[in-house]
Amino acid sequence: MAASSATVAQRPSPRIPAPIRRMARGIAVPVGSVIFAFVIGGLIVAVTGGNPFAAYLGLVCGGFGLLCSGGENPALQLSNTIVFTTPLLLTGVAVALPFRAGLFNIGAEGQLLAGAVACTVIGVKFSDLPAPILLPMVLLGGTLAGAIWAGIPGVLKATIGAHEVVTTIMLNYVAQWLVRYMIVGGPLQAAHGFSSSAPIGAGARLPTFLPNDNSLIVFGLPAGVYRVHAGLLIALAAVGVFAFLLWRTSLGYEIRAVGQSQRAARYAGVSVRRTIIVTMLIAGAFAGLAGAVQIAGVDHSLTDKYFTDTTGFDAIAVALLGLGSGVGIILASILFGALHAGGSVMQSDAGISGSLVLVLEALILFSIAANFLSTIKLQIPRIGRPGLPAMPGAPPRRGGEATPGP
Amino acid sequence: MTFISDIGHLLLTADLWRATLEAAALLLLPALGGVISERSGVVNIAMEGMMLAGAFFAVVADLAWHNPWLAALVGIVAGGLMALIHAVVSIRFRADQIVSGIAINIFAAGLTVFLVNRIFGLQDVGHVSPSELLPYVNVPFLDQIPFVGRVVFQQNVVVYAALILLVVVQLVLFRTRLGLRIRAVGEHPQAADTAGINVYLIRYGAVITSGLFSGLAGAFLAIGISNTFVPNMTDGRGYIALAAVIFGKWTPNGAFVACLIFGLGQAIYAANSIIHVSPYLLSMLPYLLTLIVLAGIVGRSIPPAADGVPYSPGTE
Repeated sequence: MAASSATVAQRPSPRIPAPIRRMARGIAVPVGSVIFAFVIGGLIVAVTGGNPFAAYLGLVCGGFGLLCSGGENPALQLSNTIVFTTPLLLTGVAVALPFRAGLFNIGAEGQLLAGAVACTVIGVKFSDLPAPILLPMVLLGGTLAGAIWAGIPGVLKATIGAHEVVTTIMLNYVAQWLVRYMIVGGPLQAAHGFSSSAPIGAGARLPTFLPNDNSLIVFGLPAGVYRVHAGLLIALAAVGVFAFLLWRTSLGYEIRAVGQSQRAARYAGVSVRRTIIVTMLIAGAFAGLAGAVQIAGVDHSLTDKYFTDTTGFDAIAVALLGLGSGVGIILASILFGALHAGGSVMQSDAGISGSLVLVLEALILFSIAANFLSTIKLQIPRIGRPGLPAMPGAPPRRGGEATPGP
Repeated sequence: MTFISDIGHLLLTADLWRATLEAAALLLLPALGGVISERSGVVNIAMEGMMLAGAFFAVVADLAWHNPWLAALVGIVAGGLMALIHAVVSIRFRADQIVSGIAINIFAAGLTVFLVNRIFGLQDVGHVSPSELLPYVNVPFLDQIPFVGRVVFQQNVVVYAALILLVVVQLVLFRTRLGLRIRAVGEHPQAADTAGINVYLIRYGAVITSGLFSGLAGAFLAIGISNTFVPNMTDGRGYIALAAVIFGKWTPNGAFVACLIFGLGQAIYAANSIIHVSPYLLSMLPYLLTLIVLAGIVGRSIPPAADGVPYSPGTE
């Protein structure tokens, strides 16, 4: 018994269980980055003559329905956040999975748009088919289109080594112009003068959790305004599939092996080329599904809204902030979903442009990428170490603190 | 057949080539910046955001001070400051340069709209009066040359500046000691460091230069070609410039050729009354062409060896 208590004595803070300690260490960087972003963002608002507290109250109200001052309906705000969160979950996975293989998929936006176009084409052309046939068709169509859109960079990377960052950027713009072509003077345009496609058939639409029936009043508002749809379940399932695939399958092992060291993976008998292509195909499938889910669940037609869609770029922040883990992606998606839902309330209640959300997103990206926190810690060790209680495992270990009680 | 003869007719007009050169110059400035930055080993996909910042601050300055030259300078500095952020984050903090570049682009898109809202409220940004725009200047005597005079010597001052900078950058990169140092730092920073070159200084300088060039392009767009700021007015031009960098195989002259090709596409659909192809399909061309180049169909395009790798002394 004495020996075992000696081993315990070597560990820091034995009162905090190891899983929680691990979690705290993992959470320190993303939480610190978000705080950093909000502090700098607040300074930007203050310097330009705005009230940062009013701005952030607007964000909290718009995102989570809390502390509202403008008479917003909390249930509706939460519902909006969930609607924004849904595609972020899918595109977040589409960026996080290639990260594990050492690939940077900047093309989630293009893959999402490809999925949205495919879903719309099928949903409009076969609008008379019943839901049990048409709904799987549009979702699969979108998934497939996204997979193809990401497969091209995957093949180019695996065969001739073209950098996936550049190829996916190029394909983002090809997809953007494709959407514009399709609905402005192109084959999908509903009627002359509109920059929108015809609506997809009723059978192609994902059901909402509440019926689209305005005589039914839920939380003081007609049920139709709550747009949370079955796509949420699909997206959550996708995150589950991502985590299972990555940690419980041989393909996931190969993906991680390639991400750690291509040479080592090759010696271990992993086909690096095949893994790169398969990873990109799966990632694109998730992003394409996101596009299909947006059309089938929310918009029901391809509109000019998609000209300025940024879901696929937000996904990069989601994947980085979520540290590429399933739980992290869910939390980060909720954060960015809430920020997007909150932006409009901030604008109406506090008079601060919703674009502040983009500024915050950029600051989070800077902070995570540069890892400001650990650099600051290295620079000023005395202030840094005690200031970060979330890193109890950091050396040097102090014996006094770790001595177990009598 | 009428389509082909229409195109042929169009290709013979001086105005088309004049528009081509103007569009190419707008792309050339950020592309030159990209070449310099990437040659020094810092990946730069942030030209879009630097241009956007340059465009916005040039308009604000021009509206305030009624002086296009001062406004252009403000735009240049704004682009340079954006680049400084990219430089600090990716050189000093050794961040992933691609994430930093994306962050710059998102930052510029958000900040400009945020500031439009703070400064101008819900109103329009307002228009710069024609006399306060960056002027179009005819070069005496040379503008009288048939065809060439119209194409080359009746342009905006920024077009001349871009062409001069093209020559300067090409010469500096390949004919001077500074250029050799920039390229050495981009190919093998450890060796360059050993030879006594200050890797950080070169990289900071190169990245900031790319921002100055991109800022000038933004000013040209906002108070030369246009006369106001609208959100996201760069509309992917910074990324087309990135495409031009790769298309041109990381050389100034190569990038210029790419800009001319992309510019010709823009000029043709600007004169779209006789073209019966959707301008949106034509807009895909720069990106598709670059994909084809990357696919190795028209010769390989290989980046500098240390492009995108943060430098820390003592590592190999």
